[in-house]
Amino acid sequence: MKRKITPYLIVSPYIIHFIIFIAFPVIFSIILTFHKWNIISPMEYSGFNNYIQLFQDKLFLKSVLNTLVFLVIHIPLQIVVALFLAEVLNQKLRLRGFFRAAFFLPVVVSGVVVTILWQQLYGFDTGLLNRILVFLGFGKVGWLVNPKLAMPSIAIMATWKNVGLYIVLFLVGLQTVPKYYYEAADLEGASHWQKFTKITLPMINPTIFMVVILSTIGGFSLFIEPYIMTGGGPLNSTLSAVLYIYKQGFFYYHMGYSATLGLFFAIIIVGVVIVQKKFIEREV
Amino acid sequence: MFNSSTKYFQISILLFLVLIISCKNEIDKKNKFLYWSSNNSYEIKFARYAVNKWNEQNPDKPQIKFQPVPEGQSSEEVILAAVVGKTTPDIYSNMWQGDVEGYAQAGALIPFDTLNGFTKFIYERCDSSVIEEIRSQDGHIYQIPWKINPIMMIYNKNIISDLGLNKPPHTYDEYLKAAALFKKDTNDDGYVDQWFGYSEVIVTWWQRFFDFYPLYLAASGGAPLIKDNKAAFNNEYAIKVFTFLQKLYSNQYFARERLSARQDVFLSGVIATRFTGPWEIVHAEKYKPEGFEYDFSSIPVPDDFKGPIYTYGDPKNIVIFNTCKDPQAAWEFIKFMITKENDLKLLELTSQLPRRKNLYNDSLFAGYFNANPKMKTFAKQSKYVKGTDSSPVLKEVFDLISQEYEASVIYGVKTPEQAINDAAHAVNLLFLK
Repeated sequence: MKRKITPYLIVSPYIIHFIIFIAFPVIFSIILTFHKWNIISPMEYSGFNNYIQLFQDKLFLKSVLNTLVFLVIHIPLQIVVALFLAEVLNQKLRLRGFFRAAFFLPVVVSGVVVTILWQQLYGFDTGLLNRILVFLGFGKVGWLVNPKLAMPSIAIMATWKNVGLYIVLFLVGLQTVPKYYYEAADLEGASHWQKFTKITLPMINPTIFMVVILSTIGGFSLFIEPYIMTGGGPLNSTLSAVLYIYKQGFFYYHMGYSATLGLFFAIIIVGVVIVQKKFIEREV
Repeated sequence: MFNSSTKYFQISILLFLVLIISCKNEIDKKNKFLYWSSNNSYEIKFARYAVNKWNEQNPDKPQIKFQPVPEGQSSEEVILAAVVGKTTPDIYSNMWQGDVEGYAQAGALIPFDTLNGFTKFIYERCDSSVIEEIRSQDGHIYQIPWKINPIMMIYNKNIISDLGLNKPPHTYDEYLKAAALFKKDTNDDGYVDQWFGYSEVIVTWWQRFFDFYPLYLAASGGAPLIKDNKAAFNNEYAIKVFTFLQKLYSNQYFARERLSARQDVFLSGVIATRFTGPWEIVHAEKYKPEGFEYDFSSIPVPDDFKGPIYTYGDPKNIVIFNTCKDPQAAWEFIKFMITKENDLKLLELTSQLPRRKNLYNDSLFAGYFNANPKMKTFAKQSKYVKGTDSSPVLKEVFDLISQEYEASVIYGVKTPEQAINDAAHAVNLLFLK
């Protein structure tokens, strides 16, 4: 009897945690999608109304497109910059430890702090970036006030914030590539570029895949940056899907609709990740 | 590990403690009311004063236990969580008027008009227009108008005088002309860096309390935004306001970038005017540079405007939650807290105006206003303030207006007529849901 109970006792903390913090919220969210609920009044069954509303909601569609725009800029930029810096930091450099720590520093700084810092850098009139541009004889750029530039500006900032983490991942990947591959390539007279494309890239394929997946999931949850810097503006150009879901839920207390948007968005993320997996496995 | 007598002793102690705590809670529930005030330090001071005075003067009546609203991202969020968890206080004194309808419809509030002595009291305290403004859609009154902070135009007296003007701009035309004179590129880099005014450019719904809404109330003589669950702002006044504001941005009289993260732009002379409330006085007095002079005037109005100039009053009211065991007794305390004498104390301690009729002319308040002449301007304005319309979806209404405001006023991608029409259409759809 004792032997039968013991395994269950051992796994029970996780099971309890899973039921309370994962299973229950997920099931409750799915139930919510069929209801209208503003938290303070009783839930009202609304059938498929939330789903119908979702497909008619142009602002949600815009927020999803905005998020995709962010990802299209952010992921390639993140990979290129992180891989380049990892390559550099993988060489025998002076102060290599210092540079590795310096690039990693923004990762551990609070997202809110980073956002406020970049808000100062991007300021139109007094921002450091525009001051440098004017000093160099260029015009000022409306980093956060021009609807076409606001999302790319946020993507650049997010890259700066997260690149340190991906540098570390790429460094690990680079250090697992056996040195004799490069030695053999050297004997064959291969160039740096050839070694990079024919040896390094294929060998760090699993790392690239992991970075793409992590950046994608991280990118889809874009929230703090537009919430603090732009509030979703100008002209909703930085309204990310998560910010929109948050606004529906916690500004207007449309809990049922917010849950519907969240569920739909989760399905989009899963779909994108599956496509990415197949694409990367085939192409790289 | 323990012998049995030690174990029994420990269990007895534990049971005794549980008993004591339970009894204490029972005593608290029966004889004490919990009152939450705002967590603004000045208001805490006032609340403490009022509660201590009540408890001292009324030892035979239910005593009040006071605490500031618990810390959270916003007091609205804390109240919402308390309503959901049924842990609301008996009395709360910092309820934004726009939130009341939602809580009333959810049955979370006690209707004051069912309590003895309320109707007589409220008609003595407030004008009938105020009473109608706070009346809920079901005809009951769930809030007591307590305090207001009217939005007015603060202006830099030195700048106005330097521009050759003998008074602050009163109409749109005067404002635009003064703005044209003041706008400047001070460092000759080809970009304007001195604007006549500033309003936060973000779309957050409540930002419209500091630009569109007071201007709309001023232009329309205090007209509602919503009436009978329909948009009521699709009119010439809203279009005039959008047109005026659009000119301010298109002519670069207002900055399109956010200026809030830098040194105070008003006190540093980067802007000459701003739409704000009386809280600005404490800040300005503390941080103004030497020789800096400022004052307040009414919100600008259309050139052909006649009549009293209304503005948004930012009202914060008192409510009793349905978790209160004895609303009549709670009402007795509230009545005490908002007597004329305590309203004067509120004014003295917090620099916030009590919402009561004849505030400006009442001899009891005259001493305070003579000693604080800038507050006198707000007291004069207090007769012509509006709060918000009664609607559970007010935030969404302001958000929809805010979206169109950004498109039309700030970025000029829509005409004012089109933007107001689109906002009204979206609001009407909202009510159909």
